[in-house]
Amino acid sequence: MKNASEKIVITGSGIVCGAGATPDDIWSKLAAGETAIGPYSQWDGDNWPVKIASEVQENNRTLVPDRKLHKTISRTDMFGIYAAEKAIENSGVLAHRDELPEDSQDGFNDRTGLFVGSGGGNYTSNYDYLPLITEAKGELPAFGAELSNMVTPMWLLKNLPNNVLCHVGIRGQLKGTNACITNQCSSGIMAVAESACAIVNGEADRIVAAGHDAPFEPEMVLYYHKLGLMSSDTPRPFDANRSGTVFGEGAASLVLEKESDANERSANVLGEFLGFGCCSEATGILDLDPEGDGVFRAIEQCLENAGLQTFDVGMICAHGNGTDASDLSESIGIRRAFGDDIPPVTGFKWAYGHLIGSSGIADIVMSLEALKQKAVPAIPTCEEIDPRIGEFPVATTSTNPRSNVALVICRGFGGMNVVVAIRANS
Amino acid sequence: MSSTEKRRIAVTGIGLVTPVGNTTAETWSGLLAGKSGAGQIENFDASGFSTTIGAEVKGFDPTESVPDPKLLKFASRSHGFALTAAAEALADAGIAPAPEDSHRWGLAVGAGMMSVAYDDLKVVHDHATDESGYFEPDGLVSEEFPANPVNFCRWQSNAGLGLLAKQFGIRGYATSVHTACASGGQAIGSALKAMRRGQCDYMLAGGFDSMLNPIGISGFCLLGALSTDNDNPTGASRPFDETRNGFVLGEGSGFLVLEDWDKAVERGASIYAELAGDGNSLSCYRITDSPPDGNGPIQAIHQALGDADTTMEEIDYVNAHGTSTQMNDRSECAAMKAVFGERIDEVQVSSTKSCMGHLIAAAGAVEAAVCCLAIRDGVAPVNANYNNPDPDCDVNLVTGEPQHGKIRAALTNSLGFGGSNSSLVFRNPTEVKA
Repeated sequence: MKNASEKIVITGSGIVCGAGATPDDIWSKLAAGETAIGPYSQWDGDNWPVKIASEVQENNRTLVPDRKLHKTISRTDMFGIYAAEKAIENSGVLAHRDELPEDSQDGFNDRTGLFVGSGGGNYTSNYDYLPLITEAKGELPAFGAELSNMVTPMWLLKNLPNNVLCHVGIRGQLKGTNACITNQCSSGIMAVAESACAIVNGEADRIVAAGHDAPFEPEMVLYYHKLGLMSSDTPRPFDANRSGTVFGEGAASLVLEKESDANERSANVLGEFLGFGCCSEATGILDLDPEGDGVFRAIEQCLENAGLQTFDVGMICAHGNGTDASDLSESIGIRRAFGDDIPPVTGFKWAYGHLIGSSGIADIVMSLEALKQKAVPAIPTCEEIDPRIGEFPVATTSTNPRSNVALVICRGFGGMNVVVAIRANS
Repeated sequence: MSSTEKRRIAVTGIGLVTPVGNTTAETWSGLLAGKSGAGQIENFDASGFSTTIGAEVKGFDPTESVPDPKLLKFASRSHGFALTAAAEALADAGIAPAPEDSHRWGLAVGAGMMSVAYDDLKVVHDHATDESGYFEPDGLVSEEFPANPVNFCRWQSNAGLGLLAKQFGIRGYATSVHTACASGGQAIGSALKAMRRGQCDYMLAGGFDSMLNPIGISGFCLLGALSTDNDNPTGASRPFDETRNGFVLGEGSGFLVLEDWDKAVERGASIYAELAGDGNSLSCYRITDSPPDGNGPIQAIHQALGDADTTMEEIDYVNAHGTSTQMNDRSECAAMKAVFGERIDEVQVSSTKSCMGHLIAAAGAVEAAVCCLAIRDGVAPVNANYNNPDPDCDVNLVTGEPQHGKIRAALTNSLGFGGSNSSLVFRNPTEVKA
């Protein structure tokens, strides 16, 4: 990474989504071409235009055993806490701290950061106020007067967008530099990029980066459907017959640290953070530049930041959300950056749906896994490439990456485009 | 770790929309006069709530600075504040993104409340609940439910970011953060870091929020965090006063234009201050409680001073977080005393929340702007409503009249629910060594 005096390595990862609760479980589904999208159970979808999603299967207490904690967190927070703590456990970084002399542990904590990408708010949490509106017969003075009789005093705390930052921080005593990024789809991937920057900048020696979201809820499904973004079939990224995206839910997390620290404590190094690019297309909330302007510029920035040439890139994990405009402009942006020499392109939303705030970081965790396995898994739902996209190397069968470097592309509302480059340890 | 020399960053533009004024000039003269922006809430009928007072932005019309009605359709009240404050900041700086350099312009925002509006919730209630008011999903897919994707867009976590980027044509790095009451400070700190690592040459950085609505205020009423001095709105926010009993909820926005120091000097820009340092820590104590010994905020302040290559000796003014809650003010004073030691009697301290109320996600950005103005004019604004000394809060508060005298450097703290602490250091341009 530019300006870095040493490598920023990845020493732990954690993930939960509809396809499983460990990188191994999810990898085996991806490699086998098995989707985790299907009929949902959180409400009865009989009368709904959208009947599928990728829901997390594990029960709440499996993910977060502490019963008391559940009273002060929401569903999305539960995913975030789980993934972050799995990554921490996997990295061994806090176990290492606990073996240090007691008088150096405070210093260690102050040099340990935490960056969280949060989906922000959600709709369902506000429904706690609905019985109060009934009780108040829709009148505001009565709503105010009955408030404390009808709604839990913990309501605000349960629904803070920065809850995962708070609770993972308290539980692990991660007291260093931190942020909670609320940038819709770009939230989680930006948490990873900002973490790496903070280490390069000397603000911390190690950082836990996490992203979490639970967008699958009735109102969200309804509005995405009204905007024409939802598939009623299944996501078919880059396919001629794609009809939209499908919601997933979940979280992912990585532990980043300086290579010398990782080596010193003999940590298992999973890979390396190489660089990133980030830009807005200035197109407003929903619109995309049809020529892939942001995708192109974010890729260029990322390659420059990582000191890579296009031929160094072994595979691309595309955003590939399965909507018409996004897939088309993404393919154009990739072609503008890579010319005719595009490495194999894959993506994972066909399997675990669109995790919105955590989509980019989940894709990083699984791309690391793909590089480790030296396999670019296929997008089995891409059967016939959209002729408007033209010749484009989407993996329709599992193929080999050209190198141990992957680019992960993440796009979001606000015209956001973020691209991260990682290398797997081979 | 960084191999490059720290790049120097100038503040060259300020825009403010606050409860004491809808422009920078009005806000600043209001603060110097110790004018309170608090009163009975008029945005909605708050008569039944335990708190009926707030510090509202008054007589605000976003169409004056945002000519595009299509863009405003997607803007919430707080987005309107943001678009207006940002436009003022850019006009003040005398620069704006142009097609040839728009990719070198960045945007960092502290985004406010992410809950849906009461009116939208009421529509859901009227179509999709049972007789007790419990949610029934199928009501949403009935033909009568007026599903409105525009409301959906307005509510997205980065809607403010998207609208600002579009309005001003900012095509570079863009980030949106939310760490509750620390958001605005963290946004400006994020911008500083992005500029120092060369990601942008210019940035628009700030925060916006408006929780003065039925759902927004409910969360704080339930927690008992707000002052209930409903018969004395202008005296209710009294940071560091022994009788303080909670904060007064405010709303508004503040934005700064940041640019490379050398470029600003080269174009003859008028420079308010150097944005010199950012510090950032997590208290890891309790979710709403502040650590009584200041452990957490102390680290953020030390980091900010270190990042600014200075020590507490250079700080002449602290714009405190000073929310007017018992706990925050005590914890913050403990932190200031730990950092300043014996100098605590020399450094001027005030919380401008005493006049503006607590602007939540916008607070850190607005208070950063206040530090810049204080440096420019050599005057520390007052900590209004301070009458009863609290032995736990015996810092050198600016009371009565604003204090005139050169400010070499100023520090501002923002301490959020969830334990995020942000501190920023601004340096007087005359103290910047070439």
